[in-house]
Amino acid sequence: MFGGKAMRRVSRRSLVAHKVRLVLTVISVVLGTAFVAGSFVFTDTLKHTFNGIFSEADKGVDVRVDARNASNPGVPFTLAGQIKSVPGVRAVQLEASAPLVLIGKNGKRVSTGGAPSEGTIWNPPAESIKTPPTFVAGTAPAGPGDVVINEKAAKKAKLSVGDHTKVVLPTRGVLPVTISGIYHTNTETGGYVGVEFTKAEGLQLFTDGTHVEAVSIAGASGVSEQALRDRVAKLLPSDLQAKTGDQVRKDDRDSVAKALSFVNIFLLAFGAIALIVGTFIIYNTFTMIIAQRVRELALLRAIGAARRQVRSSVLFEATLIGVVGGALGVAGGIGLAVGLRALLDALDVGLPSGALVISPRTVIVALLVGTIVTLLSAYAPARRASRTPPVAAMREEFASSQGSLRRRSVVGLVATVLGILAAIRGATIDSNGTGASLIGLGLLVTGAGVLLLAPVLSRYIIGGLGRVLARPFGPVGRLARTNSVRNPRRTAATAFALTVGLMLVSGIAVIGTSTKASINSLIDNDVRADYILSGTGDTPVPLPAVAQAAKVQGVQSMTELHPVETTINGDDQSGIGVDGPLPPIVKIDYRQGGGAVTGTSMQISQTTAKDKHWKLGDHVTLATPGGASVTETITGIYDDSQLLGGWLVSGDTYRKLTPSSRYSDFVALVKAAPGTSPASLRANLEQVTDPYYTIDIRNKQEFKGQQANQINGLLGLLYGLLGLAIVIAILGIINTLALSVVERRREIGMLRAVGLLRGQLRRTVYVESLLIAVFGAVLGLAIGLTFGSLFTHRLKDQGLDVLQIPWGQALLFLVIAAVVGVLAALWPAARAARTKPLEAIAEG
Amino acid sequence: MTMTTSVDAGIAARAINLVKIYGAGDTGVRALDGLSVEFRRGEFTAIMGPSGSGKSTLMHCLAGLDTATSGTVAIGATDLTGLSDKKMTKLRRDRIGFVFQAYNLVPTLTAIENITLPLDIAGRRPNPEWLRSIVNTLGLADRLSHRPSELSGGQQQRVACARALISQPEIIFGDEPTGNLDSRSSGEVLGILRESVNRLGQTVVVVTHDPRAASYADRVVFLADGRIVDEMRQPTAERVLDRMKNLEG
Repeated sequence: MFGGKAMRRVSRRSLVAHKVRLVLTVISVVLGTAFVAGSFVFTDTLKHTFNGIFSEADKGVDVRVDARNASNPGVPFTLAGQIKSVPGVRAVQLEASAPLVLIGKNGKRVSTGGAPSEGTIWNPPAESIKTPPTFVAGTAPAGPGDVVINEKAAKKAKLSVGDHTKVVLPTRGVLPVTISGIYHTNTETGGYVGVEFTKAEGLQLFTDGTHVEAVSIAGASGVSEQALRDRVAKLLPSDLQAKTGDQVRKDDRDSVAKALSFVNIFLLAFGAIALIVGTFIIYNTFTMIIAQRVRELALLRAIGAARRQVRSSVLFEATLIGVVGGALGVAGGIGLAVGLRALLDALDVGLPSGALVISPRTVIVALLVGTIVTLLSAYAPARRASRTPPVAAMREEFASSQGSLRRRSVVGLVATVLGILAAIRGATIDSNGTGASLIGLGLLVTGAGVLLLAPVLSRYIIGGLGRVLARPFGPVGRLARTNSVRNPRRTAATAFALTVGLMLVSGIAVIGTSTKASINSLIDNDVRADYILSGTGDTPVPLPAVAQAAKVQGVQSMTELHPVETTINGDDQSGIGVDGPLPPIVKIDYRQGGGAVTGTSMQISQTTAKDKHWKLGDHVTLATPGGASVTETITGIYDDSQLLGGWLVSGDTYRKLTPSSRYSDFVALVKAAPGTSPASLRANLEQVTDPYYTIDIRNKQEFKGQQANQINGLLGLLYGLLGLAIVIAILGIINTLALSVVERRREIGMLRAVGLLRGQLRRTVYVESLLIAVFGAVLGLAIGLTFGSLFTHRLKDQGLDVLQIPWGQALLFLVIAAVVGVLAALWPAARAARTKPLEAIAEG
Repeated sequence: MTMTTSVDAGIAARAINLVKIYGAGDTGVRALDGLSVEFRRGEFTAIMGPSGSGKSTLMHCLAGLDTATSGTVAIGATDLTGLSDKKMTKLRRDRIGFVFQAYNLVPTLTAIENITLPLDIAGRRPNPEWLRSIVNTLGLADRLSHRPSELSGGQQQRVACARALISQPEIIFGDEPTGNLDSRSSGEVLGILRESVNRLGQTVVVVTHDPRAASYADRVVFLADGRIVDEMRQPTAERVLDRMKNLEG
């Protein structure tokens, strides 16, 4: 395929002779592939570890019986007895658990990061169908209040056998317990807290008294899982199902894969961004290398190398770089995965630990991606190289034909306009799904269009920017400005890496800022409560605490909101259950009807009324499969409200539809009595809620702050990862400038000869780089802010009703880009400053 | 670092006992072998010699583009030995003009911007009368807004001459300034340099291998093997050619 041994030798020598540019090109390949490889290694490892945990946890289960629908109360106790008598059943184990909070020796809650913190039932080895965990200390729980906890949790809580402490259960409140034993298990995720009670107490605490979540069954030896399942299934009502152990474990694995696929896609998206950005750098590098090697290539042509051979020799170089870059990318990816895990561990996110999984797929994909991207990037330069006329070897300076930019610019302009039009249509069209896709498509088309337009834009934008930014630098500034538009294509390709990065960052910034502004305006306008009680982290508010808080002096009214999961006409629906008056705590405007939400009255939003064709006075039946059903009467239709959602029912209805073991408030809102001082009310509330450890009390202002913090955290993660695109962009600028400096060696030598000081020369390179970087940033900001705004507009109905453009942040991004530009220029500038004046005269 | 001993005010540049060795040890090449020479103010000197005679090296050392292995170089009263890069650069900027063989203009700047470049980087403004007179004398008035790529070789070299003249340097060095030009353009460029000596008392030193170019000079210095082997006053092309044949033969 390649042009023979001699040409390969030329390629190899050429690579070795230019180590710096080789290293820079390889790095740009490495960064892209490292992210691809890293995301595979990270998710493969997590998947493998989680699978290990689940298969261990469900080891020994031959059949499991559970509910088909999540809102179902579960499996009745009575059924367990019947199952026990099915022939071939050796053991039956009841599964019941509930989230709880463990209080440590220091009187503070034990935080788990993201890992579960739950209470379960301790099964004595004789009754256990799984391998029971081993004790590190103490013994099994013997009576009420006795618990065993896992070793890591004990260590974290500084609890030992015999200690008295407390646990907080959302439905029951605070429970004093005594540690009777500490057990060890291999299958726990970092931060996991497992508190196990005796069977009697567990069933009382974690069930509604009649149902358990699931029943696990072990068969006698010689009975197949399938046969046992079929026998058990005959006993079950239609809302319950029986699954074989194999099916249970497969479902476990599937749910792990599904949960992790988001992580994988998320990380791969960054890999893709890194590769796209990297493509420009590789392309630029090869274009410049070829421009510099024109005479060498022409010489090869003159002494008889065929066009194909010249092209192949360039592609051979690209292949080498791609393979080497891809291989280093795999190594880098493993490092990235290790680093990411260490970071998440340090943040106590609660991920399990296990050996790294490096599948052959990871290696193959990274190598292929690296090679293919490099080859694609190098193809156009290689073709141009093959067109070098032999006579170029003889000419003093051969300007590779740069062709007109007109056609490119016209195509770019058309694409940009079409892309923006598509996005505007996408932002205003009626359908949400199509709209979002149109905006995405518009973004791609506009991005491509701007890339094509960029060389022409660079003339005007850098011309304009240069006059302002380079002015303080005087004649040095003028040199820099003219240098940065000397080769508009190159400038455009160099700047575009930064454009892509800033486009994404600023787009996300618009959405993030608008989200915060929308939430703030929602809280300002719609929330009337003086204090908001919510659970710390993911935990619900303990119900007894709310009951107590309602009686605190200075509380005029207390309103509890509950999450309702039910089915209406067979469709899964979620809404809100209300205990207490709405008007004092939230803005609600009725179109029709109104009044309190009590008994079997139901109130719906205007949109729900429209979508479901429900009218005032209509009857609607809410049902739990295999459980209760309630027929409601519509008593009010309110204006759409982000806080209240689609429909409201009474707390009584909520409690009828929900198993008592799952009763919870997601939030409780307090209206103060007139004349009560906020400080004393707060102190009174804290006095009753503090013993529950897990309740946060916030006023409106604090509530806004907490919401903003959550969004900031998410944005921070995105910014951090997108920083990668900027790192690659810096490499691209370094690469381009370093090669430019080599290219302009004679000119730089001449400038030095006629008296340009080293410092002035360095400044010229800094300013040139700064202009290119700011140019890229301006394009990226223009696209990002535009499309971020359009996307926000699209999400208007989803609650993003305030569009806020983060001008301050945009300015900050520009400044960062400028700094990045100067930093990237440090090394090339130092190289340029080393140019000797004699090089202006010397041949070569 | 500057030496202000009682040097002859009529000397624009001088080299004393200049030695330049490329490489080291046995393989070292002595490009300049203890050479001493002076250039008088207001004189046009041509340096000639066969390839490898050290004529370019001599010029580079005189112009502060390269440093000698030993010996001293002075421009006017300033000893260049041991001058820092910054001082050397400023000296080149303020006191020396250059005309290179390959024009060496900045391709992104217009003709006028190229002409005023040495003043611009020094942060000085050109004297408008002086600029106008140079531009008119050199016939560049209608070419000032053109970029180098839009100019012929002869025009580019005239721009380079204007750039050398603009700061009214103490001495102008030319490194084969006509090497890339046809005979008509060569004549124009050499005529410009000659005129600047005649009318303005400018000091000019050019390295050349072209006897016709040397004939424009007041004095020709012949080099061979890193030493000055001969000198000629009021040269003609024929006499120079003869002398060169002797040197090479």
